[in-house]
Amino acid sequence: MFRKAGAEVITVSTDTKFVHLAWQRDEKLLEKVKYPMGSDPTGKLSRMFGVYDEDSGLALRGTFIISPAGVLLNSEVNFYNLGRNVEEILRKVTANVHLAGNPAEACPAQWHMPGDKTLKPSAKMVGKVYEALK
Amino acid sequence: MTDSSSPLRVGQQVPDFKLETFDPAKGDFSEISLAAQKNAGQWTILFFYPADFTFV
Repeated sequence: MFRKAGAEVITVSTDTKFVHLAWQRDEKLLEKVKYPMGSDPTGKLSRMFGVYDEDSGLALRGTFIISPAGVLLNSEVNFYNLGRNVEEILRKVTANVHLAGNPAEACPAQWHMPGDKTLKPSAKMVGKVYEALK
Repeated sequence: MTDSSSPLRVGQQVPDFKLETFDPAKGDFSEISLAAQKNAGQWTILFFYPADFTFV
């Protein structure tokens, strides 16, 4: 579903690529996985994104959305035991794709998918967002 | 330019990076790079997690 939105998901942990191979082969939940599984054993990329835990040598649960121009547009980091909501990540990706093609618009909090109401920020809207959202 | 000792912030340009991968679609080891993603006009979602063979 991410590919349809024009995005490539790449998972990353500090495991080596050999462990990724063994895990994907072993775990039934991963049978249908088609995304590249990245390996960051030195923690270099994890440190670049600020998710490397020096005490454990592991990466925290961070998700980062990077535009085709290479700009970091979104960041979400959870501590170990809280999983991320994939639907929310997909929502943010589709919102970012929409905004990249419609730079004069903004996606309000209730925006879920293309076609939902967006805002067109302007001087006229100052103090009148309630009316704009109706 | 980003300071190499402080992590990236939202809004910053991400420096080109390369990652060795296992690619289940190819059934083989491979490599991805941000440069290649940019050339392909693709959005990139990096999904970090602590360790294989664990849960959540």
